[in-house]
Amino acid sequence: MKELLAKTYVRRLLITLGVVATVELMTGPPGSNTAPTAGFRGSFAESASFFGLFKTQRWVLFLFLALVAWGIASFWITKGPQVRTTVSRALVVPRQVTSRRPVRWGALGALLFVAILLPRIETSAFWQAAMVEQIAVYVLLAIGLNVVVGFAGLLDLGYVAFYAIGAYTTAWVTGALPLPPLFHHALNPFWSIPIAILLVMVAGILLGAPTLRLRGDYLAIVTLGFGEIVTIFANNLYGITNGSLGSNPIPHPSIHLGPIKYVWGLKPVPYYYLALGFIVLFLIVFSLLEHSRVGRAWTAIREDEVAAESVGINPLKYKVMAFAIGAASAGFAGVLTASQSNNIFPASFTLTFSINILVLVILGGMGSIAGVVLGAILIQTVTEYLNNGQHWGYQPSDLYIYLGALLIVMMIFRPAGLIPSKRRRREILLSEADHENTHIDEALLGDDV
Amino acid sequence: MSDLIFDVKNVTLRFGGVVSLNDVSLHQERGEILAVIGPNGAGKTSLFNSLTGVYQPQEGTINFVGRNGKTVSIIGRKAFRVATYGVARTFQASRMFSALSTFENVKIGAESHRGIGVVGAMLHGPATRRDEKRSDERTVELLKFVGLTERANTIAASLSYGDRRRLEIARGLATDPQVLLLDEPAAGTNPSEKLELANLIRRVRDDMGVSILLIEHDMKLVMSLAERLYVLNFGGVIAEGTPEEIRANPVVIEAYLGSTTEEAGTK
Repeated sequence: MKELLAKTYVRRLLITLGVVATVELMTGPPGSNTAPTAGFRGSFAESASFFGLFKTQRWVLFLFLALVAWGIASFWITKGPQVRTTVSRALVVPRQVTSRRPVRWGALGALLFVAILLPRIETSAFWQAAMVEQIAVYVLLAIGLNVVVGFAGLLDLGYVAFYAIGAYTTAWVTGALPLPPLFHHALNPFWSIPIAILLVMVAGILLGAPTLRLRGDYLAIVTLGFGEIVTIFANNLYGITNGSLGSNPIPHPSIHLGPIKYVWGLKPVPYYYLALGFIVLFLIVFSLLEHSRVGRAWTAIREDEVAAESVGINPLKYKVMAFAIGAASAGFAGVLTASQSNNIFPASFTLTFSINILVLVILGGMGSIAGVVLGAILIQTVTEYLNNGQHWGYQPSDLYIYLGALLIVMMIFRPAGLIPSKRRRREILLSEADHENTHIDEALLGDDV
Repeated sequence: MSDLIFDVKNVTLRFGGVVSLNDVSLHQERGEILAVIGPNGAGKTSLFNSLTGVYQPQEGTINFVGRNGKTVSIIGRKAFRVATYGVARTFQASRMFSALSTFENVKIGAESHRGIGVVGAMLHGPATRRDEKRSDERTVELLKFVGLTERANTIAASLSYGDRRRLEIARGLATDPQVLLLDEPAAGTNPSEKLELANLIRRVRDDMGVSILLIEHDMKLVMSLAERLYVLNFGGVIAEGTPEEIRANPVVIEAYLGSTTEEAGTK
């Protein structure tokens, strides 16, 4: 027995079986009060179709899956490095092609074209609404948080606060709160866009200036507190926010500028285009920033604050700036949500929301704009797909089990995210090389500057 | 009175009950190569950190004569502010931005001490582009000066020790300093690298007109390079003079005998 366990492939098989059994339980039927073990029993004994071939029980299906997973894992562990080298060698030429400017611009143009046509391709009401409420809003939030977490390396666990401030500013400016609007004159939500963006940036500076002197964990805790404070204020300041009852109806945005007249109505598609326009704007600004000296200063501070100071970089100033700039897109997302959904409630701005956005950033690739956008679109689309109707025994309340599992798997196999930022990936590789005493050049293999 | 660049008077630095620097006074002339030596734990790096605003001494004054001949007090200023006055430094254990290329490392030095220009950076306007071009040119120049041109695109972490030192020097010079503080530049380098380094340091002074303040354990290097030396022991200055004077000073010899000075390493 002991000899058997000493063999790596046996241990690997046992681990795979354990993981698959857990997945089996997670995806199995729920239990009940009268039959507490029904969920457990049903997870294994319930009948299932073996890929439509024949009827069998769940455990047979999952045993088969476990064996397949075991085979893949064994192959990858023994042959993985070889495969990776071969692939990276084969990719040298395609990489050279894709790194050419015209090719990149062409690809980006094509993506934008697809994004513009998307509401025509997908015409179901569910998905058109989801594109705005679940995808566009999350993309906006993710690219903003990416500036703070990815570029400047500041762990912000209260990012939802800026989103909330954006939304409540819209409600305030349009006269939907007990608090009378500016100059007692209700504005159209369209004009609350600049006001909200400005206000969240000020909020970012006000929060950042005192707290960004803290580092690492301490900063994370303070931002966590800030997020909670904003939510609690929204909940309890009845005279200002109308408390947990939420705002009064917020009108739809409209624009009357000389010959330009447009009213956003109930349909989600116009909001989609509004969001798309701002997403493109934020993407351009953020990526210019990343490659400017501001972006380089952020990288310098992230990597070695003492060295950064020694060349004259004021860390506090740049960190506060990251906070304010990152907040801007959340502010706009707040306006978008408030003006489209008509009502806002404090219950929508919780800690879980902040964490969700952070998960999108981490999965997509901290510090990589493309990665973060892809991460947000992918996760939100899959989540929406699963929420929309019954799929493979998925229940919405299980979402976090799967997200958590995905996060663990990603951290093991692809710690820098789906599309890693070059700088971030190198940082991870270097710190790993440091721990494992690998030679640095070996760690950086295939990483062309 | 001569042309001073650093004027340190009666500086005392304490960490709780530990006295790290005790009533230290020293001065440096503009254009001088000055060295600070002393056994491990003598307070050399503490002195450097006080001169660059990383530590804040409790007593004494540190005056620095900046670009336009104006005297500024270092104590009470933040490290980044001191850097903008014209004090550049390297670190005992090289501190680079490891995941960036050599070029980017130096470029950060070249551009960071100018204003922030965040709006310009967002819009990427002509002024920003001009600025960027100037930083690029300066970086190319400095990489050539320190001899790292061929390593411009190498990731800083994979540079050799000698090259890291040169990178740090180039990054420091990029901030357009009046004085360059070098904390054990020869640590971890081989004899031929040491020779090149000494030449480089001399060229920094001669060609760029930057004063040099140096901490070093390698006696041969110090004696050949420095024009004047201070000897620190137990946080206080015990001797000052030219290399010849120091070599003959009985107090210095006593401080060094019995202590393991030649272990060039961490304090």
